[in-house]
Amino acid sequence: MTRRVAVTGIGVVAPGGIGVPAFWDLLSSGRTATRGITLFDPEGLRSRIAAECDFDPLAHGLDPGLVERADRYIQFAVVAAAEAVADCGIDFGAEDPWRVAVSLGSAVGGTTRLEHDYVLVSERGQRWDVDHRAAGPQLHRAFSPSTLASDVAEHFGAQGPVQTVSTGCTSGLDAVGYGFHTIEEGRADICIAGASDSPISPITMACFDAIRATSPNNDDPEHASRPFDAHRDGFVMGEGSAVLVLEELEHARARGAHVYCEIRGYATFGNAYHMTGLTSEGLEMARAIDTALGQARLDPSLIDYVNAHGSGTRQNDRHETAAVKRSLGAHAYDTPMSSIKSMVGHSLGAIGAIEVVACVLALAHQVVPPTANYETPDPECDLDYVPRTARPRKLAHVLSVGSGFGGFQSAVLLTGQAGRKR
Amino acid sequence: MSSEVTLPELAALMKKAAGVTVDPHDLEARIDTPFAEFGLDSLGLLGIVGELENRHARALPTDAEKCKTPRDFLDLVNSTLTAGA
Amino acid sequence: MSAQPNHRTAITGLGVIAPNGLQTETYWKSVEEGLSVLDRITREGCGHLPLRVAGEVRGFDPAAFIEETFLVQTDRFSHFAMAAASAALKDAGLSDAATDSPYSVGVVTAAGSGGGEFGQRELQKLWGQGSRFVGPYQSIAWFYAASTGQISIRSGFKGPCGVVASDEAGGLDAIAHAARTVRRGTDVVVAGAAEAPLAPYSMACQLGYPELSTVEDPARAYLPFTSAACGFVPAEGGAVLIVEDLDRARRRGADVRATVAGHTATFTGASRWDRSREGLAQAIRGALDEAGCAPEEIDVVFADAMGVPEADRAEALALADALGPHGTRVPVTAPKTGIGRSYCGAPLLDVAAAVMAMEEGRIPPTPNVFDICHDIDLVTSTARPAELSTALILSRGLMGSNAALVLRRDPGPAAR
Repeated sequence: MTRRVAVTGIGVVAPGGIGVPAFWDLLSSGRTATRGITLFDPEGLRSRIAAECDFDPLAHGLDPGLVERADRYIQFAVVAAAEAVADCGIDFGAEDPWRVAVSLGSAVGGTTRLEHDYVLVSERGQRWDVDHRAAGPQLHRAFSPSTLASDVAEHFGAQGPVQTVSTGCTSGLDAVGYGFHTIEEGRADICIAGASDSPISPITMACFDAIRATSPNNDDPEHASRPFDAHRDGFVMGEGSAVLVLEELEHARARGAHVYCEIRGYATFGNAYHMTGLTSEGLEMARAIDTALGQARLDPSLIDYVNAHGSGTRQNDRHETAAVKRSLGAHAYDTPMSSIKSMVGHSLGAIGAIEVVACVLALAHQVVPPTANYETPDPECDLDYVPRTARPRKLAHVLSVGSGFGGFQSAVLLTGQAGRKR
Repeated sequence: MSSEVTLPELAALMKKAAGVTVDPHDLEARIDTPFAEFGLDSLGLLGIVGELENRHARALPTDAEKCKTPRDFLDLVNSTLTAGA
Repeated sequence: MSAQPNHRTAITGLGVIAPNGLQTETYWKSVEEGLSVLDRITREGCGHLPLRVAGEVRGFDPAAFIEETFLVQTDRFSHFAMAAASAALKDAGLSDAATDSPYSVGVVTAAGSGGGEFGQRELQKLWGQGSRFVGPYQSIAWFYAASTGQISIRSGFKGPCGVVASDEAGGLDAIAHAARTVRRGTDVVVAGAAEAPLAPYSMACQLGYPELSTVEDPARAYLPFTSAACGFVPAEGGAVLIVEDLDRARRRGADVRATVAGHTATFTGASRWDRSREGLAQAIRGALDEAGCAPEEIDVVFADAMGVPEADRAEALALADALGPHGTRVPVTAPKTGIGRSYCGAPLLDVAAAVMAMEEGRIPPTPNVFDICHDIDLVTSTARPAELSTALILSRGLMGSNAALVLRRDPGPAAR
């Protein structure tokens, strides 16, 4: 018998407001949370803008010990997970801890602290033979990417499979996908799944400067993230976290839980083409979409909304448009497809999970979030990108898709109450 | 430092920045052949642009990394570097 | 996984880059002989750090394995992974280049330290010279997904690609992930892990681990299961396996070197070594259950062997908890005491050794270790001949993960 996987709790830490209500308020209003960087002095960088979280860990309930110990991206994840756990109503103390899994994604993990301490031990880049005595006491935790899932598992008492997933910018989708598989395959009944990243630091900004991937529109940060628009000029860095509580459907029903939606399919493929480059055909992303639909035995014509990767780089938006047209055929032109990166930026590994939560909320509210800043059509991007204003719509089946460095292409399929089989 | 970028210099940069080995004479003979056919991709060309910008302490036009052939690239770079320093 | 017990997965190829061997055969010979290659660290800029001893991969010329266009854009950890992947594909009789059905081959790696040396070089450019000196490859060389992406691109594999950055135990999780991917319909998955944590800044990071051994005598630095246990010694390297649908492997006449029978992962908290007892025991029970394997069927255990007294005790007790009386009788080995622990690469090297131990009928010894202070049958000094059909590989991570993997020798199609 196939085990079905329900979403029973959600939590989010995103630019523009912490928590699900603030997040949905931002998305449904079409406001943008992009601005000049305040987390460090960006002088000298080509792109000096980002979508930052106004985040006070103590105000969000974290204890001072954790704040001291855990990097910003882990603090985000713990706050988002706490919201999701409270939302789902599960009494974790009463669950079998071996049946609770954690699957969290991050693209760059502890790099912000790694860079901070590097500056200390190298005397600001002056020496290769670093002086380890100048390092902070938490550096080893930043070195290990698994600290993210470990800290969250420890916090919530999970003892089942605990994984950090790091597939670049598809980490969030893949972590949700791995969590989905973990429950479907019977290795756990509950999974805390999501992703987190806090990449707004000199090294990561400089990385993307070096390949001209980020927007240099420093004079107008509010309008800099322009997915699918003819005048788009790169993505705007973001940060944040989103966490979902995934639960085996019968387990959720047995306790009378509120079920937001079900995860029905997940697939990922490599494009085997280029670490950063994308083809104009979008074959591999199309295959991920087709495979996810196939798992749910769902006809492409039943897709009601596509939450796009929509990073706002020239090549991505063209690639993705081609992929969706390839999978959905003529139905692609009738399907709204929007990018919330226009509002909350691109938080690398975290954004995939944030976008899945946006899909969960779209299903819950029967509203499609818009693509902010979309004004001038690009002939190569000719779908319905839901310009600037959220749109009420009957939604049963929605897709979230993503692309990542390494050539990874992933898709997650969600089905809400309206499309649910009893 | 002479501000002209020569073919041997470009060949050396292709090796250093992208691991592409090309004989300068071959580069000259195939100066209108797309970089891609030499095995140089967009990141490799960006690396060369960055290296030249740092060497000459000045910015190159944003089109530099979009040049398709050695001739286009050298023409653009050299017209920029030699234009009233 | 246990829902589809008939859909079995095979290991059809091995590729190893290890401190004690740059080829699978030389690696096995060193392991089988019980050689210890733990030695002074010689990587540039590391000599002054209070971590003197490690398992260093020496004599590795990446240019002999990998095209220069790939070399310039990758860190040493990806060089190891790409070289091991090529060797594994060759061993499996599969082409290194794109197949005619590219979606039928996936790639999954585990990563615990990323491209540290490359990253340090670019950090030095950023902070020493300025942001415009950061090169275009930093964005793709430092992050944990670099090896999976590059293996996929280099060979044209478009199947499911994954990266589990989950502690040392993530190395076993990667194999299980590959096996599940095969069960979901992908023919072949290139699965493994390789690490290169011996760059100055990476070492400065590791110095914070309370479990790290900083003993300067290579023969005394890593002595698990003894009263002189003083922590673990880090290492470079790892291994890549070809995980393949068993029926497909048989159809194409591949040499089935072992089958992946069962796996379970658990979590009991970072550095909570006392609690890892129940975590490991639970993982072993789960892996046996999935493999349909009785405790008595386990012929050899490749131990995690952390080298921390509480952790060693927990592991010995976990074997007794999960295997019953067999737990004190089954031969246990830890070849990594002669190699060091290459984080996620370490359990992969153990899996490679386990496959060859079953093939050769010899249990390799535990180098440098003699006086055991726990009730386990640790194989020491010299290899022990034994008929081996089933191996149990254990792994734990510094951040709290535990995993157990059961491998079986393939009895051949007739015995099914």
